[in-house]
Amino acid sequence: MRPEIIQKLSEIVGKDNLYTTLEDLYCYTYDASFVKADLKKDLAGVAVYPSNTEEVAQILKLANQEMIPVVPRGAGSNVSGGSISVGDCIILVLKRMNKIVEIDRKNLIAVVEPGVITGQLQSEVERIGLFYPPDPASLAFSTMGGNVAECAGGPRGVKYGVTRDYVIGLEVVLPSGEVINTGGRTIKNVTGYDMTKLFTGSEGTLCVITKIIVRLIPLPEAKSTMMAVFPEIVQACETVSEIIAVGLVPCSLELLDNIYIRNIEEYAKVGLPIEAGAVLLIEVDGDAEILAKQIGKIEQICRRLGAVQIRVAKTKEEAEELWRARRSAFAAVSRGKPTIIGEDATVPRSSIPAAVNRIQEIADKYNIIIAILGHAGDGNLHATILTDETDLEEAARVEKAINEIFIATVELGGSLSGEHGIGRAKSKFITIQTGEVGLKVQHQIKQALDPNNILNPGVMFGA
Amino acid sequence: MERSFESWQKEVIRCIRCGACQNVCPVFRELQAESSVARGRVKLIRGVISKDLDLTEGFIDKMSLCLMCKACVVNCPSGVKVDKLVEAARKEIAEKKGLSPLKNLIFRLVLKNRWVFDTGMRTGRVFQGLVFRKGPNGQGMLPRMSLGIDKRRLLSPLAQKPFKGMYPEVVKVPEATMRVAFFSGCMINYIYTDTGRAVINVLKQNGVEVVIPPLQNCCGTPVRINGDYETAKIMARANIDVFLKEKVDAVVVACGTCGLSLKEEYVELLEDDPIYVEKAKKLGSMVKDFTELVVSLEGFKDKMGSLPVKVTYHDPCHLVRGLKIKEQPRQIIRSIPGVIFEEMSKADTCCGSGGSFSLYHYELSTKINDHKVESIHQTGAEILATGCSACQMHIADGLNRQGITMQVMHTAQLLEMAYKVGEGLTSVKFDKG
Repeated sequence: MRPEIIQKLSEIVGKDNLYTTLEDLYCYTYDASFVKADLKKDLAGVAVYPSNTEEVAQILKLANQEMIPVVPRGAGSNVSGGSISVGDCIILVLKRMNKIVEIDRKNLIAVVEPGVITGQLQSEVERIGLFYPPDPASLAFSTMGGNVAECAGGPRGVKYGVTRDYVIGLEVVLPSGEVINTGGRTIKNVTGYDMTKLFTGSEGTLCVITKIIVRLIPLPEAKSTMMAVFPEIVQACETVSEIIAVGLVPCSLELLDNIYIRNIEEYAKVGLPIEAGAVLLIEVDGDAEILAKQIGKIEQICRRLGAVQIRVAKTKEEAEELWRARRSAFAAVSRGKPTIIGEDATVPRSSIPAAVNRIQEIADKYNIIIAILGHAGDGNLHATILTDETDLEEAARVEKAINEIFIATVELGGSLSGEHGIGRAKSKFITIQTGEVGLKVQHQIKQALDPNNILNPGVMFGA
Repeated sequence: MERSFESWQKEVIRCIRCGACQNVCPVFRELQAESSVARGRVKLIRGVISKDLDLTEGFIDKMSLCLMCKACVVNCPSGVKVDKLVEAARKEIAEKKGLSPLKNLIFRLVLKNRWVFDTGMRTGRVFQGLVFRKGPNGQGMLPRMSLGIDKRRLLSPLAQKPFKGMYPEVVKVPEATMRVAFFSGCMINYIYTDTGRAVINVLKQNGVEVVIPPLQNCCGTPVRINGDYETAKIMARANIDVFLKEKVDAVVVACGTCGLSLKEEYVELLEDDPIYVEKAKKLGSMVKDFTELVVSLEGFKDKMGSLPVKVTYHDPCHLVRGLKIKEQPRQIIRSIPGVIFEEMSKADTCCGSGGSFSLYHYELSTKINDHKVESIHQTGAEILATGCSACQMHIADGLNRQGITMQVMHTAQLLEMAYKVGEGLTSVKFDKG
């Protein structure tokens, strides 16, 4: 990066909010995905931490004039390689813009800056009986800006939808440095194109989000949690389809396969039968009176379709114990193998049994371990590949297997990514789903807003 | 064969870079730069192992910016031992680049050699009045002139007489039910002799005979975590020999850092020494934190007088996440009649001391401390109890900077006070700040 650019950036954000040493910049060559930047050509030139919209606007204006790539970044917990440095770029970290601007109880909305931690917003609104449902696994540290840019999901998606379903307005900075507001504070709003929805999930390729308006809902009164154990994974998958088909809507419907069960039991000793084919963890929420009835119906379906063991939590502590199994899942499987790759293929809910089958066939074909854990209620399966990245021969087989999983997913009518994003990890597969014309349209949108291709180049559309 | 730096490759690749450490790292909370969080440190270490990076000044600086508080370790979904990795990196730095001259002097001459340490500390006591003045409310002391440390820095004065000089080697009690050895650690020996006295008095009161081996050294942790393994090993072996000689039921510590060192880290440090690793295991199995021992003593709650006071408790990092002592001190505090125990928010977050961290990164360390002081102040407590002398000094410094009057003491001192009131020796009155 040219010294005069760094000087100008330093004048914008202040010298304490700018990093240029090798050791600092090295730490922006990764995010939470398995994608790695090429150190020789993709070490950022500078990382800047602006504190307000005006500074962001000045930075983008400068970058646009000088045609310098800009990679917007929140907590860097992206799982598709969308927040790693590319070329001699500017890493634009929004973490200092971390204020909850307002929580408007009368209109059931919250206005936040992009650096607000999602979990913090949730605890703030829950204190006054309101609810912001999207719950990505990273919610304790990922930012609202990142969640909106990736359209993050989570276990509650089955009932409450994803980030997109809550964002109703944005303030964004365009690559030109111009600031626009989209949507607003109303539930109904059809003035012009729905730019809010377009920018939500745009992965930092169209604009930099500087303010977010989300709608809130009343916090459900109570929750009830149960666990059902099945001898065969196919029975668990059929149970999921059946629960959805009869019109019951749990707020979480999580599937764990045998590999997870064995590892969790060895690791956390929560009393799971290690020979079981699958476990479903089911949670319903709502008015306290109707919960027992709902759980009763779900229990009947589970038994009818082959569940051999059912545990309904009687107390909050028992529910916590059941969730402990789910939460320890990742740690449990990571003990055996050093490298864990979490995939994100999503299929229509009725295709879950078929998708699970295909994933298991692919694992056998390439002789690798793929564990399955999923937000089964919304068809979002997280095929988890347990491998060792230092074993290059196995790594090659893993790559082939991942490619095949993508193709199988789309064949089953599903999506390459449910909630992780396309990023750099899946950009070469995008046309399998969009088609050539579909991609061309997306390209045209990108060009209209970012003609110099400075914002997160390479993300979504490849290099 | 000693473990090579490269052999840590297996541990670094376990980091899946999820970022969960951002939620708990006290240094990251202040600095926000990716290189200042556990994930960044691990990536930098990986970079050096894979030869992407060298042992540059920049790398050395990043490695120094870790409090070793273990918050990331217990919060890591993959269980990456970040503290061990940073320590391995510091060891590599010390071996390849050498220690700074000041650290070299302190570690290799002073801490290792008990007589130099003792003499230095005695001389220090005589001269400290020239360079320090008394702190507010008679607590602690402030530098009169610039010493390369901040003039606002409240330090605790060296004691008139070291703790070990205050007692005979064996503190006998009539009809002892138990016999323990006490590892005092440096700060209790030279500065917080009150804590040492309280430990002895409480144990005496409970019929426990206490041996204070005069030849005990510094535990070696300050040396080891700065990468000087050779010196640390010499110190570990010396302590092992001294304590295994005693015929006791337990080795008691009143500092989480020393305790963790004796209980677990000597074994890791001496893993290549087949004879001493077994001895270290034996010593480790005998180590008990003071509070852990007290709650196991039948009748420790008897004879307590009432202390009408509000108390809050700070969990020292190495006590709560190292020795896993969390409930025992709370159990003791709650059992004192009259005491209102008020839990502070984030009681187990690091106070920012980090041993020598607070001397090398004082500004940063005070910022971290400000959050701790704020949590303490919000409880409205008159006494802060804790289980580590370094935390005690750092928190007292923070309270002083913020102009908050509050007593800071070891859990043992609070208990000692309750026993004294029980005996009718004293009545207690507290001012609220």
